[in-house]
Amino acid sequence: MIITTILNIVIGGLIMGGIYAIISMGLSIQYGVARILNVSHGEIIMFGALLTWALQSSGVHPMLALLIGCPAAFIVGFVLHRTIYKRLKDISPTQGAFEGNAMLVSFGIMYVLANIAMMIWGNQQKGYSFMAYAVNFAGTSIPVNRLFVLVIALIVSVLFYLFLTRSRLGKSIRAASQDATAAMMMGVKINRVAAICFGIGAVLAAIAGALISMIYQVNTTIGLGYTVIAIIVVVLGGMGSVPGSMLGGFILGFIGSAVSYKDPSLSMVAYYLIIMVLLLVKPKGLLGR
Amino acid sequence: MPILEAKGLNKHFGGLTAVSQVDFHVDEGEILGLIGPNGAGKTTLFNLISGAIPMDSGTVIFKGTKISGLTPNKICRLGIGRSFQAAKNFAGMPVRQNVLMGALFGQKGQSYAQAAKITEEVLDFVGLAEQADKMVPDIPLAHQKRVEVARALATRPSLLLLDEMMAGLNPAEVDEAMALVTKIRQSGISIIMIEHVMKAIMNICDRIVVLHHGAKLAEGTPSEISASKAVIEVYLGEALS
Repeated sequence: MIITTILNIVIGGLIMGGIYAIISMGLSIQYGVARILNVSHGEIIMFGALLTWALQSSGVHPMLALLIGCPAAFIVGFVLHRTIYKRLKDISPTQGAFEGNAMLVSFGIMYVLANIAMMIWGNQQKGYSFMAYAVNFAGTSIPVNRLFVLVIALIVSVLFYLFLTRSRLGKSIRAASQDATAAMMMGVKINRVAAICFGIGAVLAAIAGALISMIYQVNTTIGLGYTVIAIIVVVLGGMGSVPGSMLGGFILGFIGSAVSYKDPSLSMVAYYLIIMVLLLVKPKGLLGR
Repeated sequence: MPILEAKGLNKHFGGLTAVSQVDFHVDEGEILGLIGPNGAGKTTLFNLISGAIPMDSGTVIFKGTKISGLTPNKICRLGIGRSFQAAKNFAGMPVRQNVLMGALFGQKGQSYAQAAKITEEVLDFVGLAEQADKMVPDIPLAHQKRVEVARALATRPSLLLLDEMMAGLNPAEVDEAMALVTKIRQSGISIIMIEHVMKAIMNICDRIVVLHHGAKLAEGTPSEISASKAVIEVYLGEALS
């Protein structure tokens, strides 16, 4: 009995953790390079979820929906940076002023996106049935759609990590996030890299949204909650550290899973408690420098 | 034949004049020393040349091309490398990766294999081959400063801006750093160096420019500068009379 409980918590933790990790890596890469705390991140997640729902209800496989969602998200992120944020950076007198203004602008974008979604889809819960059967494992039955989501989340995390460490573009992203001025002086086109990072962050959000829609009911108001979680995970893992975001995502996922097992409404309380303790004990986060 | 020529450079930060009407040039193959009291505008001058901050007015001509107003990455690719005073190494990467960044992005269309080859050559050249796999914060300061120089060299510059690469080094390390600067010049790279270590400035520079309150106070050979009354007054105060 106790084994079953633990197994349930662990599997739940892995699934939540996988989704949290993807969301947070997206926010982390946007903040790390473009220095924008993107509050509208959750709205891209919401759009990813609802677009997947909408496409699948007209007969498109949810994974195929990603083929439309990912490029669309990249374009939205890239263009947002190229138009609004780049201009904001050019006219801001100091870096600090830019970071503050950029966050305020991202609040505005959050409301615009949330209301567009509300106009299209209303505020009803939307769900669909996807791989809705279970396998038995060590006395507990696990829904296959959750396992599927977990596998995709892990694949995306690993691919993203390899992209950052192995590819030329990934290397320039890491250099830019560690020291933008020095990277610029060594020939890195910092504005282009920042716009690409903004696009990649949006792609990760869209993937997370699609995965969420496969296992939970979604609606047009889920965005902000995920933004808050992403911010907590990024602070937990260490600002700008992608492995930190991955680790922080899974830690928060496990805690959320364990607390939810007792009472789902307490998970947010647990998250805030963790972040308060962490800020007192290790202000730079687990893997922050 | 000057490799770099700057005319009428100006930069204000609010009410503070950081650089005011500065003209200077660097000849091909020359080591130019840039000295002056703290706050004289030396690092700001480097920031203007490398494009890190925009200048209020003035022009900089590098190898016949006007570079003032260009973005830092373009200026880097035209052949100006720069090391920083406060080490701006990528702390999350080992030494070799730091240098590789310069090699990969410093010139257009660099293949990975070429960049890796240049990285090894530069590591060897500056004497960091044995430290290449260590993380930057784990090596001594003198070596961290060399990582800065190596990273700039990996972008294959024809002009190198060195910002206080000897600050905080002990006398033996200063001698090694002086030998390295001389070796860089012998390889055909012109150099501007900001330095407070007078021994280095007087021994290896061909010419010296002295800045004071953002303006050029004096210019000349090391012996001319060390005999200049104006310079002595700035550094030691006016003579008692």
